[in-house]
Amino acid sequence: MTLPTLACIWGELTNPYLFSMYRKTEFRERVEKICNDNWQTYLGTSEEYFWFNADDVIKAAQHKSDGLMVSYVKNLQKYLKCVDVEQSKQYEWNYPSKEEIATQQRDLQAIRTYALGNTKTKLRSQHALLYMRCNMMLGRHQENINYWEQTASQFIETVYKDMMQNIYAGALYKTGQDEKAGELFAEMGDYQSLMTQFYRKRSFQAIRQHYQKNPNSKVLPFLLQDFVNNCQEVIDANGGDWFDGKLFVRRINEQEATQMRQFCETVVREGKTETPIMWKSAKAWLEYLYGHQKQAATDILEASKLDGTDRMKDCARVLMLFITAKQAPDSEAFDDYLADELSWLKEMEQKEEDGYFYRAKTRISHQALMKHYQNNTDKLIAMMDVTNNYHYGEYIDTMRVGQLEKYFAYTNTPAKSNLDKYLKANLKKDEKAMTDLIGTKYLRLCQWDKAIKWLEYVPASFYNEAGYRMYVLLRKVSVEPWITRQWIKDADVDRAETYNWTVSENPKLLFAKEMQMMEGTMNVLSGKALCQRCYNLATYYAQANFTGDCWWLMRNGKSVSDTLRVNEVDLRAKTKELLQKASQTTDLALKEKALFALSYGELYNENQRWFTREWNNETYEYDRKTSSNSQQYRAFAALANFEKQNTTHTSQYVSRCDEYIQFRKQFH
Amino acid sequence: MSLLLCLLMTGCSERQELTEGNAVYFWRTDLKLDSIEQSFLQRYHINKVYCRYFDVVIDEEGTDPKPNATIAFSSTLPDSIELIPTVYITENCMHQKHPGLAEKIVKRIRQMNETNDIKHVNEIQIDCDYTSKSRKNYYQFLEEVKEAWGQTLSTTIRLHQLSMEPPPVDYGVLMIYNTGDPRKWEERNPILDIRDVQPYLKQLDSYSLPLAAAYPVYQWVRTIRNIRIEHTVEAKEILRVKEAVEKKRSNLKNVIITYHLDKDNINRYKPETYEEIYHH
Repeated sequence: MTLPTLACIWGELTNPYLFSMYRKTEFRERVEKICNDNWQTYLGTSEEYFWFNADDVIKAAQHKSDGLMVSYVKNLQKYLKCVDVEQSKQYEWNYPSKEEIATQQRDLQAIRTYALGNTKTKLRSQHALLYMRCNMMLGRHQENINYWEQTASQFIETVYKDMMQNIYAGALYKTGQDEKAGELFAEMGDYQSLMTQFYRKRSFQAIRQHYQKNPNSKVLPFLLQDFVNNCQEVIDANGGDWFDGKLFVRRINEQEATQMRQFCETVVREGKTETPIMWKSAKAWLEYLYGHQKQAATDILEASKLDGTDRMKDCARVLMLFITAKQAPDSEAFDDYLADELSWLKEMEQKEEDGYFYRAKTRISHQALMKHYQNNTDKLIAMMDVTNNYHYGEYIDTMRVGQLEKYFAYTNTPAKSNLDKYLKANLKKDEKAMTDLIGTKYLRLCQWDKAIKWLEYVPASFYNEAGYRMYVLLRKVSVEPWITRQWIKDADVDRAETYNWTVSENPKLLFAKEMQMMEGTMNVLSGKALCQRCYNLATYYAQANFTGDCWWLMRNGKSVSDTLRVNEVDLRAKTKELLQKASQTTDLALKEKALFALSYGELYNENQRWFTREWNNETYEYDRKTSSNSQQYRAFAALANFEKQNTTHTSQYVSRCDEYIQFRKQFH
Repeated sequence: MSLLLCLLMTGCSERQELTEGNAVYFWRTDLKLDSIEQSFLQRYHINKVYCRYFDVVIDEEGTDPKPNATIAFSSTLPDSIELIPTVYITENCMHQKHPGLAEKIVKRIRQMNETNDIKHVNEIQIDCDYTSKSRKNYYQFLEEVKEAWGQTLSTTIRLHQLSMEPPPVDYGVLMIYNTGDPRKWEERNPILDIRDVQPYLKQLDSYSLPLAAAYPVYQWVRTIRNIRIEHTVEAKEILRVKEAVEKKRSNLKNVIITYHLDKDNINRYKPETYEEIYHH
C-alpha cells in the first residue's frame, strides 16, 4: 500500500505508553526478513542476507541452470528500477527525465505481461506478486482485487502471498472498501497503513460503531490502544510531564474518556469479546489517568484474571505494577514485589524487541517509584540509575554532598534485601564521574580541603572526555573577566584540534589547591598586598561562577537561564565582598580596577542592574529607565566619583567601556 | 540576468535595489492552486512565486545531504507569473563542506523544470537558517551555486543574520517572522512582535545587500497543556512592523512577499490588509 507522506514519517515513540495491546513489529520489516532468509537459502550461504542483490541471485540461478529464476529475477530487477524512478522523484539527486518516466511506464506494462504469463509455473507466487506490484504502480487496483479474489487467495501460504494480500488490502482501501481493508491490515500487523486509514476515525463513537459491527474486529486493539494512549497524552500535558509521543495525537476530552470507560465495562459484561482483558485493562488505565486510583486497582486486579493474548496479559501486569507502586505503603513486602517485577521487566525487555517494556519501566520509574522512595535517598538514587530515569543526572548534581557521599558508600556495601540485591547488581557504576561530582560539590561550597581529598582520585584524562574540554584548554581562571572576555575563536579550536591538545592536569584540583593556598595565606598579608590578594581571589571567584568564563569548574554545562542553585555558595556575592575590600587600597591603579570590577554587569541579577528597559510603543524602541537605588548603579557611581577625582589617571578599559559611557551621560 | 536591479543612492553607501513587485511563497508539497488562490495571485498583482522545490537534509547515516519532500506538480502557474525554485537546506548540512552539493542542487532543479515543463526560470533561491558556526561553509556553497546556476541567485536572511557580513548573492529576502521564543508564547507572539524585531532595526540601513521583505500571514497551531493554542499575527501588528522596517530602510517596500500562499491564509485577513501589506 502506498502511504501518504505523514505515515511514512511515523517516528519512534518518546512518550512511554503503558497501554500496549500488540507487539510493534511492522509488517514490512517482518516480510523483508523472510524474503531475505529465502534468498539466503536459495544462494546456499550461511551469512545472513540483508540486501537483495539481483546479480548475485542471477549468477546463482545460472549456475543451477534455473532459467525460470533467471528470467524472474531479471524482471524483478527491472521492476525495482521502475520503483527507483518513483523514489528518485522524492529522495534522490537524479530526478527522472520525461524519457525515464515514459520508459518506466512501458517497462511496467511489459513486466506485467511477462509476470501474468508465468503465474502457472513453479514460481507462480513470485510471478503473481510481481504482476500485482505492477498493477499497483500503474493504478490498476480493481484488477488486483479481482486477481486476488479469483486466483492468488487460493495459493499456498508463503511470504509472497502475504505481500499480495497486503497489496490487495491497499487496493480495497483505494477503491473505497475500507472496512475489509482495515481488518486485513490489522491481521497483518500493518500499523502504518491502519493509521493512514483510521486517522480521522479514532473517536469513541467510531470505536463503538466498529465494535457493534464486529465485537472481535482485529482493528479494535489498534483503535482502543490509540484512544487510550491519546488520553495519556492529554493527561501528561495537564500534569506537566512533557513526554511528547505520537505524531498523530488526537486530543480527547474527559467526557469522551468517561464514555469510553463505561463502554469498556459494557463490552466485558456483554461477553461477546474474545479479549475481555483488553477492555478491562483499558478501563483500569483510564480510571487511573482520570484520578480514580482505587477503582483502577480493583479493575486491573479483575483484568488480570480475564482472557486475552499474551501481550495483553503482560500489559495488564505492567499496569498492575504502576498502579500498585503509586498506592502501596512503604514496606518490605512491596520491596520484594518490586524486585521481582523489575527482574521480570528486565527479562521481557531483552526478550521483546519492540521497546515496550523499556518504555514502561521508564514511566514507572518517573511517575511511581520516585515518589514511593522519596524518603529513602539511597534506594531512590539507585532506582533512578537502574531504571534510566531522565532526572538521575540532575538529581545527583544538585543534591547535598553529604547525601551523595552516603550513597557512594551504599553502592560499595553488600546488599541486604532482595531489592538491594537487584539494584546493586544493575547499577551503572562510574566511580570516576561520581568522585569528580563529589569533589565538584565541595568546590561549589568553597570547601577546598575536602574538594582536594576527592579530586585527587580523578585523573586528568577524565577531563579529556568531558564535553567542556575545549573550554578547559582555552580559558584561564586568572584573567580578569571585567577587562577581558575569553571568547573562543574558531581558529583556537582549530589549533587545539590540529595539535591534539590534551588536558594534562586535573584542572579542578589545581583550582582548589590555588584557592586553598591563596585563602590560607591571607592572614599573613596586610595593606596593599592584602588588597591585591582580595582582588586576585575575586577574579578567581568571578571566573568560577556560572556567569564566568570558567563555569566548567562548578558546572557541566552552561545556559542563559542558569541561576544560583541550592547547595552552592553565591560566588558573585563573594566576588563583590572581596572587591569591596580590594577597593579600600591606597594603590590607585588597583582601586580603579576594583571599582571597575564592582560595576561589572555579570555580577548582578537583572533587577540589580543600573537601568531597566521599558518598551515604547511610539518610538518602537526600548527606553532605559535609571534605577538609582540598584546595586550596580551604586557601584558605577563609586567608580564615576573616583574618576572625577582622578581625571588624569582614567584607564582606557574604563574610558572605553560602553556601559560606563552610557552611565556617565546621566550621572552628574 | 532577468532580475531588474536599479541603482539607488541609499544612506551614505551606493547599493543596488530591487524594482517593485509583489510575491508569495508556496510551501506545500503539491503545486495545485484552487480558485481562491488563483484569484489572489491576480488580485494582488503577484508577479513572482517562490516555490519550495525540495528540502536538503542530512541522511540517516548523518553524513551526506540528500533531497527530501520534493514537490509534485499537479498544475502550473499562469504564464504571467515567474516561478522561483526555492530549496530549503537544514543548517546542519552546512556544518561541514560537501563538495559537489551546489552542482547537484542546480542539476536537480533544472531536471525538475524540464520533466515538468516549467519554462523561463531565471532565478533560484536558497533558504537556510545559517549561524556563525555554518556561515563560512554556507557562503562558499552559495558561491558554488552561483557558479553552477549562472543566473540570479537569492537567499533568505533571518533577522539574527543581519549582524553578519552579507552572503554572496544577488539579493536577500528578509524573513520578518518567527521572531519570538516559542516557549514564551504567553508574553509575545512567537511569529511576530515588534518588540522582537526592534533590536535588529538599527542594522537594516547599513546592510549592504539589496533586500526584499517577507511577512507572515500563516497560523501556527499547537497544543500546550491540553489547550489548543493558535498563533496568528494580528493585521495591525504586521502593518506596524512593516511601517517600522520601512522607516529604517525605505526600499524594503519595493518587493513584498507573503508567507505563504494558502486558501486559509488568504481568508484569514481582510482584502484591505493584503492591500496594505502589498502597498509600495
